[in-house]
Amino acid sequence: MTSLLITAEEQEEQLAHFMQRIEAEDKIEADDWMPEEYRQTLIKLISMHGMSEIMGALPEKEWVPKAPTLNRKLGIMAKVQDEMGHGQLLLRVTEDLLLPYGKNRGDLMQDLFNGDLKFHNVFHMETKTWADAGVIGWLVDGAAIITQTNMLKASYGPYARALQRICAEEVFHAQHGESIIMALAEGTNEQRAMVQESLNRWWEPLLMFFGPASKETTGSSKQDLTIKYKIRTKTNEEFRQLFFDKYIPRILSLGLTIPDPTLNYDAESNLWSYKQPDWNEFKKIIKNQGPRSQERLNLRRHSYEYNSWVREALSATVR
Amino acid sequence: MNSHENLMSPEYKEAIKDLLLQLADDDFMYSYRGSEWLGLAPHIEADIASSSISQDSMGHAAMYYKLLEDLGVGEANELAHCRVANERKNSILTERVNGEGYYMDTPQYDWAYAVVRSYFYTQAKKIKIDSLCESSYRPVAEAAVKVRMELYYHRLHWETWFKQLMNSTEVAKKKMNDAITLVMDDFGDVFSYGNQKQAIETNRLIGTEEELKENWKESITPVFLALQMTVPFIPEKPIKNGRNGEHTKDLDEALITLSEVYNLDPVAVW
Amino acid sequence: MAEENFYQEFEIFSKRTPSSTFQYQFSLLAPNEDMAFVLAQENFMRREPVADIWIVNRKNIRKMSSEEKMSLGRLENKDYRTTKGYGYLKKKWRKYEQELLDEKEILSWGGERK
Repeated sequence: MTSLLITAEEQEEQLAHFMQRIEAEDKIEADDWMPEEYRQTLIKLISMHGMSEIMGALPEKEWVPKAPTLNRKLGIMAKVQDEMGHGQLLLRVTEDLLLPYGKNRGDLMQDLFNGDLKFHNVFHMETKTWADAGVIGWLVDGAAIITQTNMLKASYGPYARALQRICAEEVFHAQHGESIIMALAEGTNEQRAMVQESLNRWWEPLLMFFGPASKETTGSSKQDLTIKYKIRTKTNEEFRQLFFDKYIPRILSLGLTIPDPTLNYDAESNLWSYKQPDWNEFKKIIKNQGPRSQERLNLRRHSYEYNSWVREALSATVR
Repeated sequence: MNSHENLMSPEYKEAIKDLLLQLADDDFMYSYRGSEWLGLAPHIEADIASSSISQDSMGHAAMYYKLLEDLGVGEANELAHCRVANERKNSILTERVNGEGYYMDTPQYDWAYAVVRSYFYTQAKKIKIDSLCESSYRPVAEAAVKVRMELYYHRLHWETWFKQLMNSTEVAKKKMNDAITLVMDDFGDVFSYGNQKQAIETNRLIGTEEELKENWKESITPVFLALQMTVPFIPEKPIKNGRNGEHTKDLDEALITLSEVYNLDPVAVW
Repeated sequence: MAEENFYQEFEIFSKRTPSSTFQYQFSLLAPNEDMAFVLAQENFMRREPVADIWIVNRKNIRKMSSEEKMSLGRLENKDYRTTKGYGYLKKKWRKYEQELLDEKEILSWGGERK
């Protein structure tokens, strides 16, 4: 950390030097000096990303014991384990950024329980059928891959390196999801109906996943800061368009219908037009007022507290 | 029909089938209970590590179900998902719930019980696997050699947890001792071969029940001595013997969950 | 908080094969070394082969400050340390109808005599 006895001039110089490093695509490391705004932007982004992985394990985990074959049971266990693993990597990156404030993993968990730390809208949704396990792997992870790969070159070195590990595993996740969907899409009428019904429910949350196109929509957006500091390069809307490019043809090729009759591709502008999701609903969801927000938070809180004696017991043995 | 099967007497085949079901069902249920823990362990890093053990164990169950499939007993997925409780041969210990409450609600899973069950079970599995490596039935001996490779880590992992929690606070010790009582109450059929005892033992498919129990006690004695504890006593007569298809309602409930999707359409491809 | 000491930071290194060098993997939180040890492989090397693992409590790592990192800079005028400074020899040897013993040639001598 930097000394508190520093002149305004020196401060400005420090900042200019920092921005030069950002512009030069140098990598910023945990112990380097960084402006408060950069640190705060990273903490907000990466803690939310990390907690989304930890909370995201819960909806999929609902299908782990129910997976229909030995191989599916194995595959989904490994997949949910990876989600927890991604959470571990990202929380470690966040925890190092929090060191100057004296905060640790325990504080992050409390922030989650208090509602100060948010998690992605998709993980507030209910799961209803086995097809949801497929749609989450295929399309939710697909959406996540689009945003995560854009940050592989993020200016913050520890985040970029964590994302390298994460994206390598996401390839397996995407194929795990595709494999579930493919079996259902090529299966019985009931199985096909199951995928379609699941897609109908997940389509809107998927559009919301990328966030509003501009802050005018919901009143706040952190996309400008993350672009300024070269953490990412694409906007929310660019992500969504890329998602359409990659996934709409695949969804249609399986004979599935996208639940948006207005969906249209315009070759001239190279843009998809689509029915806007209900952004008021989105605002509610990320304030932990989604369909399963409270139940999942409660499960996370309860499991964390019910076995807190384990952490206390081993904490007491540290000399 | 392979050469093994041609030479098998009906008695031998019945014995190997029973033993394989015991082994497969044990690991299947143990893994199932482990998989319910996913995302709920007291520490994220520990959640990840213990999930690998559940996966390995499901992998072992799949190997045994495959051997049963090769014997013409039934298709592996069908054996795992379709059999009713009184056809299941797993020990009572492996079917017990992790704690109060359904995993889809807000269950009260006890990490002390998870550690003790896993440590004692893994230790028992190691004793069986060592013996199975010498089995008269070649395919199971070959599978045992493979399984043994992964057990080193499972034991190291659970032994570390066991020792550390037993060596920590009074609260932890109390919880661990309560868990030991619960686990040992259910330990009576872990080394039982049920009604097939004689056929399994005389055909040298695996060591005798008595021999294996002795080996288990011997193998955990150093850890218990170091902790200044007495080695727990294995009940002579189990209240229910899972090897004979006697089970608790915990298994009935687990079967409904684990086959819920499969049973939507047992002939569909999933 | 009574859990404070539980979150010790450990840095994890591993070797892929017996002959490879140690590589840094990532960091994890654990209350002690033995626990860190049983968590390390499944947290960071679930899919790759592992031949060995090292674990270091972060407290024991001496890191560089940004001022100290200034000491890492140096001029690029040190050809005399590398073969680059002796490139002219190739031409010289040609005059004597001999080949230059370059890196590829020298490192091949560990194998069988040809």
